[in-house]
Amino acid sequence: MIVLSKLADLFEDLAKRHRLLPWLIAYVLLLPLPFVLAGLFNEYLIDLVNRICLFILLAVGLNIVKGFCGQVTVGHIGLYAIGAVTSAVLSLEPGGFGGALGFGWPVWLSIPTAVLVTAFAGLIIGLPSVRLQGAYLALATLGLGESVRIFIAVTPALGSSTGLMMIPAPSVGSFTLDSFTSYYYIVMTAALLGIYFSFSILRSATGRAFQAIREDTTAAAVNGINVIQYKLLAFVFSAVYAGLAGALFAHMQPGYLHHNNFTVIEMVTLLLMVVLGGIGNVWGGVIGAIVVAIAYDQTKDLVFYFMDRPIVIQPLVFGLSMVLLVMFMPRGIGGWIEDFQRNRRFIRRSEERLSGSTRNT
Amino acid sequence: MGFDLNSFLAFIIFGVTIGVVYGIVALGISLIYSGLDIVHFAHGEMYMFGAFFGLVLADNVGLPYPVALVGAMIITAIVGMSVERVFYRRLTRAGGGYTVAGMGMIICGFGMSVAMVNVAYFIWGAEAEPFRANLDYIPRLQFPGDIEVPESYVLTAIISVILMIGLHYFLRYTKPGLAVRAVAHNKDIAYLMGINVPLMISLIFGVACALAAAAGVLIGPMQSVQVEMGYLMLMKAFAAAVVGGFGSLPGAIIGGIMVGVFENLGAAYISASHKDIYAFLLLILVLMVKPSGLFGVEAKVKA
Repeated sequence: MIVLSKLADLFEDLAKRHRLLPWLIAYVLLLPLPFVLAGLFNEYLIDLVNRICLFILLAVGLNIVKGFCGQVTVGHIGLYAIGAVTSAVLSLEPGGFGGALGFGWPVWLSIPTAVLVTAFAGLIIGLPSVRLQGAYLALATLGLGESVRIFIAVTPALGSSTGLMMIPAPSVGSFTLDSFTSYYYIVMTAALLGIYFSFSILRSATGRAFQAIREDTTAAAVNGINVIQYKLLAFVFSAVYAGLAGALFAHMQPGYLHHNNFTVIEMVTLLLMVVLGGIGNVWGGVIGAIVVAIAYDQTKDLVFYFMDRPIVIQPLVFGLSMVLLVMFMPRGIGGWIEDFQRNRRFIRRSEERLSGSTRNT
Repeated sequence: MGFDLNSFLAFIIFGVTIGVVYGIVALGISLIYSGLDIVHFAHGEMYMFGAFFGLVLADNVGLPYPVALVGAMIITAIVGMSVERVFYRRLTRAGGGYTVAGMGMIICGFGMSVAMVNVAYFIWGAEAEPFRANLDYIPRLQFPGDIEVPESYVLTAIISVILMIGLHYFLRYTKPGLAVRAVAHNKDIAYLMGINVPLMISLIFGVACALAAAAGVLIGPMQSVQVEMGYLMLMKAFAAAVVGGFGSLPGAIIGGIMVGVFENLGAAYISASHKDIYAFLLLILVLMVKPSGLFGVEAKVKA
């Protein structure tokens, strides 16, 4: 606890000198991570870290619409799928395997296009939020997200049952970013930028508007906030995150996409991250993403035999832990963080008051 | 391929029959929504459990089909009530003041649905199992123009109508039914009038789960029974409930029939492989045009 408190103090001191300073330091500290991991453990861990970064992007993005703005959406994985498939199809060579579409665009062009397309899709997924709230909205987004997956699954041009293969990796000049280590720098940068921008959004007037809508839509509207516009904006922001994560996922080697990457269990995983992290808390979401992504990776192939039948226990564990989390720890890790911050603020204030009173006497 | 009136009629008839089954599940969802103010995301799994209980009772135990149907309904009702008692009750007792901004119930139901699918994997495995029911005593229906309706469809239609009439009678003309309606209308006042509200909530949940189980047993002989059947059914029943107007019971049935017909016609005339998307299309369409549904009163929004 004391160490955490010291760290938080240090972070705040740095942030007082320059707003970007702590982020730059974090970035520099994260730079040698793949070499450390490869040296101490094995290469595979770098791949895991890459996927954690993508999950962080997704969870932080989901947090914007869910945590900041209070709109219940369960179709986020559909946006992720749209981003991934768009970028993959745009960058594939024409006349690909199994009737898959291909346009042969360079990767650096296909990723931004995919993000734009996903942002537009987010606008469409957000449209029901204009008229619906709570459970209705959850239904509508669940339906939309699932229809995206079914559409991919039955359309040969988008991979259908075979999936999209040989999606090219991005390259800088003649250097192709197809190793785990080189790709790490892309996704890590994206994840860090994602977290940073999410804080920027939270602090800005837009973020305050989101929070006002979350607390009380009517009061927000009375205070001159254009509720429809801001709700849609929240959906678009989160769609940009999901699209970027999807596009980066598509180009991550081995460059293979299948509609099974976007099923309900992935959605459950994503929800679990946000719930474990505490809805609305950015750092909580990040920690949740890291914990759940590691758990997801470790339990993915965990099979045990019950009456001679192979049973995959991951969905069971994830589903139940989600139920239990909502029941017993509804504020998640974010709740602890908030308590910790409040305690620290309280202690500092009382210290100041004490030292102030001694000076007076 | 010209337009053939006979096959068009056949699509409509099959669509209506399937749609009635959607409607029965939707009825349960609507009932839970109006009684408990929650949307039950694990209802598709109740339907799947019901189908499996029916399968076990009919094929392994060897009970006649109607008895298996009733047995499956009772067992599923008990399962449903225990799930509600153990897990959901805690959240509803919080009085809507969920710290996760009303998402608690949705996320909890979502997780419960995934967990229940995998419990079913434990028990029954992943293979699709055929539901062989002996239905020879039911006549095949012969429509003019060579449309023949198989026994299982006839039986579905008959049993659905019986269930609907039964539910209507229960809600409208019995004392517990009156209590259920009172609870759905206003829990606090129901408490003050001396109604045992927690018991009624259990009852609502039990009835809704029994309806889902009936749908599962009915659809068993038409399709096969498998663990992952619940999810799509949930989506379609939701679509039906929303199309008809959430919380409106006749609306749920009519919405179900609309979804069934829409889906069958789409599969026949547009593209069969996209069959499962049409229900969502209809859902989105209705949500955008008239969010309260066709028969819904002004949407009762719980944020």
